[in-house]
Amino acid sequence: MKRSIILWIVLLLVLGMLNGCSKKANSNKNTFTFATWAAGTELEEFQAVIDKVNEEAAGEYKINVLSIPSDYYVKISTKIAAKNSPDFFWLTQELISKYAKMGALADITEQFKKSNSLTPDMYYEGVLASAEYNGSYWGLPWIANPIIVFYNKTMFDALGIECPSATDDWTWEEFIDICRQISGKEYRGNKVYGTIIDGWPNIETFIWAGGGDIIAKDGETVILASEEAKKGMSYLQTIVEEGLSPRYAEVASLGDNNVWFEKQRVAMFFGGVQDNFETKIDKMDESEKFEIGYAPMPVCDDGSPWSFDWTASTVMAKSLEGNDLAYKALEAVTKAFFEWKIVPPVKGSLNNVIEINPKKEAAMETIAYIMDYARSANYIPEWSDINDKLWYNLYVSLLNDASFDYRSQMDEIQAYSQDLISKRKSK
Amino acid sequence: MSLKKSKKLSKRMGRGRMIALYVVLILGSVMMLLPFIWMVSTSFKAENDIFSIPINWIPRKITFDNYIKALKVVPIAKNMLNTVFIAIPKILGEVFVSALVAFGFARFEFKGRNFLFMILLATMMLPYEVTMIPTFMIWSNLGFSDSYVPLVLPAFCGSASFIFFMRMYFETIPKDYEEAAWLDGAKNLKVFYMIFIPMAKPALVTISLWSFMGTWNDLLGQLIYIDSQHKYTVQLALASFSSMTGETLWGPLMAASCMALIPIIALLLYAQKYFMEGIKLGGIKG
Amino acid sequence: MKKRQRAGFYFILPWLIGLIVFTAFPMLAAAYISLTDWDIVGNAKFVGLDNFKYVFRSEDFIKSLWVTVRYAVLAVPLIIATSLTMAVMVSKNYKGMRIFRVIYYMPAIVSGVAVAIVFKWILDPSYGLINGVLAFFHIKGPDWLYDPNWVLPSYLIMAIWGAGGSLLTYLAALKDIPQDLYDAAMIDGANTWKKVKYITIPLMTPIIFYNLVLGIIAAFRKFTDAYVLGGAGKEGNFYMVYLYEEAFGHYRMGYATALAWILFVIILLLTILVNWTKKYWVYSE
Repeated sequence: MKRSIILWIVLLLVLGMLNGCSKKANSNKNTFTFATWAAGTELEEFQAVIDKVNEEAAGEYKINVLSIPSDYYVKISTKIAAKNSPDFFWLTQELISKYAKMGALADITEQFKKSNSLTPDMYYEGVLASAEYNGSYWGLPWIANPIIVFYNKTMFDALGIECPSATDDWTWEEFIDICRQISGKEYRGNKVYGTIIDGWPNIETFIWAGGGDIIAKDGETVILASEEAKKGMSYLQTIVEEGLSPRYAEVASLGDNNVWFEKQRVAMFFGGVQDNFETKIDKMDESEKFEIGYAPMPVCDDGSPWSFDWTASTVMAKSLEGNDLAYKALEAVTKAFFEWKIVPPVKGSLNNVIEINPKKEAAMETIAYIMDYARSANYIPEWSDINDKLWYNLYVSLLNDASFDYRSQMDEIQAYSQDLISKRKSK
Repeated sequence: MSLKKSKKLSKRMGRGRMIALYVVLILGSVMMLLPFIWMVSTSFKAENDIFSIPINWIPRKITFDNYIKALKVVPIAKNMLNTVFIAIPKILGEVFVSALVAFGFARFEFKGRNFLFMILLATMMLPYEVTMIPTFMIWSNLGFSDSYVPLVLPAFCGSASFIFFMRMYFETIPKDYEEAAWLDGAKNLKVFYMIFIPMAKPALVTISLWSFMGTWNDLLGQLIYIDSQHKYTVQLALASFSSMTGETLWGPLMAASCMALIPIIALLLYAQKYFMEGIKLGGIKG
Repeated sequence: MKKRQRAGFYFILPWLIGLIVFTAFPMLAAAYISLTDWDIVGNAKFVGLDNFKYVFRSEDFIKSLWVTVRYAVLAVPLIIATSLTMAVMVSKNYKGMRIFRVIYYMPAIVSGVAVAIVFKWILDPSYGLINGVLAFFHIKGPDWLYDPNWVLPSYLIMAIWGAGGSLLTYLAALKDIPQDLYDAAMIDGANTWKKVKYITIPLMTPIIFYNLVLGIIAAFRKFTDAYVLGGAGKEGNFYMVYLYEEAFGHYRMGYATALAWILFVIILLLTILVNWTKKYWVYSE
């Protein structure tokens, strides 16, 4: 008897939980939650930006910060699944099309085009393309971090090698030639290398080097196995084969690839504009310091010095689609970011860079030049699977073994990717 | 050979063996401690000293910068307090309820006992990652977002692995004790309370320690259910030192990790004596 | 008598309630999810057994299962043997043993991520500690995590390092062995090895059984350090790492849940097997 009473109580509890209370739909809401991966000191800066935006909103709306210091996408997707999506959140370019396809994001095309202060044509094309999918815009990019070449001017001079200029139109072949002149030489008691390739720069960089690409602009055709793409990969193969970069297994011994550049073991480093070598050098002992030179990416076989650009956008939850107040807040916050992070992705704001980080002044010529060539790959929803194959089956294999048959592998991956895309259509 | 004589003999042989034992233990200790030595060493290194070739174990110049920086980035003391705040009710719940349940499984033969115990084991086998979202959805629907409740409440229903452990432990306790008590007409709870709990002290201390460690080291669970920074726990604080667009602050991270270790090591040293409190079962035979 | 036996049910009631309230629903939900195509963020689409059919055709599944099984078969006995040995060594009440007990247990108190990072440096092929020591003896160390053949040994080294985790359980059990038994054996002329073999180990079998079951579960669910460190040639792609990537990297929660259930069945079968052998080798009153 007692047993059954207890079981009934339990059953009632469970039923109560299953009913639950649904989230109150509040269409008049003016408090928004903004989720970010910023943590620690970056979060302090973020909070300061948000505070300023809230102040200027003067009560019209208020933004609250939700910091997710680890496993960012796990928590975001979990919250969305529980119908508790943050109102705004940061989303990296590789995931925008995926989240848009899954129906998590608000389509902001209308509001974006109609805006008085921030319109699509104000952005650099390459950067804005990352927020586009299926003909609509899904978020506002707030940062552009294209790659440029940082080089050790002191080392170049010491080895008697001519430095590239700030807007040099050097080709990949010329780049490799310079590497040949450097790699293997002795400098400050160590054997040095021309450059360091360890999975960074990413594979897109090399494929573009030959004038090719992975996914065509239509988002449906895979062009990975084209001759241009293969030519691009051959540059990587040359670098590995001739030992112009440290071995893949050796790189981690210094922790991260950028340390090789900081410790003057590598002459040229492909780094994002944001990379703060200048600050690090300032903190070094006098004997360890060196002068940094800046150069643009080498010119690819199709005539342009394509630079991989990492971008993230602030996106809006689907439930806020069409909500003008929310969009207003989104826009205000995005513009505030342009004064916080470099490089701001809208044309004509290059002066912000020097204001935000005065140490980058010496790089400005290169930065201004490269922004027109900032480019991302076409990140279709199937990207996560394609990227896995590109990394494990192609990139790492080639890094470990210069004689790896990358050409057949590229054919294989193209077939696999094309197959994936065709499955998407049949759904 | 008499007992006294053989003890004397083994004592003499024992000394040589004791020295050998110490040597082996010390060598092993060095291996066990190496990662910790690395962490401590790194925490006192200046930024440009952390990655160097060849890797050096002793900092070129000892600096407290990392610790100062770590304390500026996260309020580690508060985070530790928060974690303790979660850990204490959790320990109370888990330890006592698990012992109670284990007693039920160990000493009573009720219908379906073995089947239910198998289910208990089975609950430990499904990866947490796939039940995480449905569980979160329940708590979210009940209104518990940004709260410690989802982390603490389930503890009051015991913990499967602790129940398993306590049951094993109880089964090794000779039945003689309780037989006597039951013959005297004692009620079940009293038997449990007066006989089993005291005898199981080492085991109880062990699972208390495990429970505390579980809470101290649980990143994913705390990440999912806690939003506000002032509610952050130790693991969330440590996660703040590396970010996707920021840089990983290795020095301060190591410093914070070292600070996070101190409470556990202290607890370990303190709880240590409970394991060595022997149960000299004298009076059973005869 | 019978009435007293039924009282046991009331003792396990708290756990039973917890089972129904906190565990049953998520597990049922997980069972349903495994039959769907769900990307977490959107709606779930029912697809029946498709996920399971795909699993058995997937190369990555087979690889990750193989990596995990191989690891489990080697690591579980290794960890138990190491841990037992450690326990016996530090169980005596000599001076300073207290410190050793803490030292050998310490690896278990650090969280997985910190351990992984430190071992990444220790196992570094060029300047890590292990290869540095080997170099001292003029041996060129392998590439460890960067060489497919040495990834498994790398993880086994980490497993042995962490073996002290079960130290407390063995110590607690060792203390319960009555000294009289050892004394009696000594009178009969038994040496240390015989004492260990005929007294210590047999009386420890319940705790060994406990650690065996838990060890199997832990080995198959190995995740944190493997997720951080990986390993060349996908040799570090343990089952749980594969599952986690499928769930949160590719947003294929339905498929990942199916993987979880398969793992569940494997572990369950192994546990039932071990449990069945219990009567042959585990001591009980």
